[in-house]
Amino acid sequence: MKHILARVLLPAVALSVVLAGCKSGGEQSNTFRIGVVTSLTGSAAAFGQAHKNGYTVAVEELNAKGGVLGKKIELVYYDDQSKPDQAVQGVTKLVDQDHVPIILGAYSSENTRAIVPVVTQKQVPLIIPTAVADNVVQTGSPWVFRICAGSGSFAASTLDFLKNNGDPRTMAIVYENTNFGQSNDKSMREEATAAGVKIVDEEAYQASSPDYKALLQRVKAKNPEVIYFASYLLDATTLMRQAAEVGLNPKYYTSAGTGFAAAEFPTKDKGAGAYAEYTFSVSQWLPTAKWKGSKEFDEAFTKLTGAHPAYHAMEAYAALLVAVAAIQKAGNAQPAGIRDALKAVDLPETPFGPIKFDEHGQNAHPLLITQILDGQYKVVWPKAAAEAEPVIPAPAWNKRKGL
Amino acid sequence: MAGRPRGGMRRPGSGAGGRHRVDFYTSLQAVVNGLLTGGLYALVGMGMALIFGVMRIVNFAHGAFMMLGMYAAYVLFLDGHLNPYVSFPIVALVMYAVGHVTYMGLLRPIHGQSDFMQILLTLGIGLALTDGIQLVFGADYHQINFPLLSKNIHLGTHITVNAPWVVSFGIALVVGAGLYFFVMRTMIGRAARAIAQNRNAAPLMGIHLHRVQAFWFGLGVAAAAVAGALLLPVFYLYPGVGDQFTLKAFVMVVLGGMESIVGAAMAGLLLGVVESLTSLYWGNEWALLVDFVIFILVLSLRPSGIFGRQKA
Repeated sequence: MKHILARVLLPAVALSVVLAGCKSGGEQSNTFRIGVVTSLTGSAAAFGQAHKNGYTVAVEELNAKGGVLGKKIELVYYDDQSKPDQAVQGVTKLVDQDHVPIILGAYSSENTRAIVPVVTQKQVPLIIPTAVADNVVQTGSPWVFRICAGSGSFAASTLDFLKNNGDPRTMAIVYENTNFGQSNDKSMREEATAAGVKIVDEEAYQASSPDYKALLQRVKAKNPEVIYFASYLLDATTLMRQAAEVGLNPKYYTSAGTGFAAAEFPTKDKGAGAYAEYTFSVSQWLPTAKWKGSKEFDEAFTKLTGAHPAYHAMEAYAALLVAVAAIQKAGNAQPAGIRDALKAVDLPETPFGPIKFDEHGQNAHPLLITQILDGQYKVVWPKAAAEAEPVIPAPAWNKRKGL
Repeated sequence: MAGRPRGGMRRPGSGAGGRHRVDFYTSLQAVVNGLLTGGLYALVGMGMALIFGVMRIVNFAHGAFMMLGMYAAYVLFLDGHLNPYVSFPIVALVMYAVGHVTYMGLLRPIHGQSDFMQILLTLGIGLALTDGIQLVFGADYHQINFPLLSKNIHLGTHITVNAPWVVSFGIALVVGAGLYFFVMRTMIGRAARAIAQNRNAAPLMGIHLHRVQAFWFGLGVAAAAVAGALLLPVFYLYPGVGDQFTLKAFVMVVLGGMESIVGAAMAGLLLGVVESLTSLYWGNEWALLVDFVIFILVLSLRPSGIFGRQKA
């Protein structure tokens, strides 16, 4: 038995090692490869797919204009399955095997925080499209750039909206317990306290629980005027349904985007349906945004997928646009050169608004506040961009029709 | 689970300092919710207790079978348009067959060998099932939706229950009672109890060891699968969903006294209520921890279980 094992196993192992090593030595190809890490499967699959569609629209557009540095752009995707260890593996594979000079991604704050040290160690620039936790741009790494606004901005925008629309004084924060939720809890707690809003309750939860009713009852007992959620899609859906069951009726349901801003959230089959109505969310972008190129992206995306994009898709699109602009400016495929070009990027008019990175790699992206009205996201703040009046307070659950 | 870190300090509950003052009705509501959840737990635990009690097999694949039952119910919903409260007997039958075949094909051959082998085998089966489902359905999460899910029933002015949970509790009760009946009143139930008492003497009394064990393994698996089907409407579906239930099933079996299916059922209800009350008083995150605290306490202080007899 042992003899046979040695005879078969050893050559098989040797063969597979050789084959793995012999993968396309890509530098001779005539495409320019850019690495992408995102969550195409797993709990964040909806957002990962939004990313992918956004990237696809961008690649088609850019290649139609000639690609970059005379070559067609080729995106090399790595699916991290919504797991941070897979995200790390993805970066390693993309840099070491595929030799990409720049990486875009990941999706979630948890996965992004995991890959920041890796890109820093491997000295490859990273553009972060969607991760909101502030700690991903606070490591001091010169290789990290983020185009979207972070949790501190989320809190500031929400408070600004609240102050000018009823000025509530008490708030409860309900947040999922990974990097994304913790970061938003911290930011909101600090900003709210500084703004004179009392935080009466903070509830962390595990996003895979079937039952949040006890948690929601605890919040109900504190009677906050505002609830601020930091949730992904599945938990947002369950939370809103169970909030109705428990009879939780704050004046304002607000949120740190993400699950509460997903395209699926107001839908009946993949989201909370009617339970999503009247919830507020910060938004990084909407199809009705007045930036140059927004409308065209919306049209191209709708043509590709049959549905309108949520901001996660736009962030992916914009990330690739910026990456290509930097590569073009750097004039070569050297990671250090691209990094320096990114540092110097100053694009006042992109479809995602102005993009310019500060010394931490953060772009000062302006935020909108939306409310779900009649199953649609409508911008309600700031006034200059608003398309509808906000409905305040949210009607009590037992008074709502059609539930 | 999707790679969430377990370590690090998490602050429990409210920012205002820990304990909440909650009124009587809120606590009562939490107890009611806990009982409803506990009904499902009980079904999973009963299945595990059956398998352990009769066969002394620690079924590490229990949660995976439950997950399979959920996927079966999901497919029946998508293609057959049957909601799980109607399709669960089909799920039960299909998963009984799966369990029976698993026993005959995989567990019977290692009968009589060390416990360690058995544990490895069921662990392996669990992994194979989870990864197999991921291959077929992908790692994505799915949920189903139908009108009953939005119905809430109000009992008086203070207590609200969600209709699906009531229905699943009712079904779990019936199925659980059915299992108990089977064990206590039928010939094959007697055979199972005989094997549990003395597995060497039982064949001498004319009991067909493997036939009976295959039957009970199948039934135990079916119980877990039905619990899964009942959970599908109020939760969401992904390949790893069963893992947390395997662990909970262990806790229930230990609490219930290793072989007692009534004990496991009571333990399930207790677990549901304890989790719910812990969630209410200390916060959602502590609810999961409390399962294991109970587990450790019972194992160290009263290994024969709270509900069981002196048999461990």
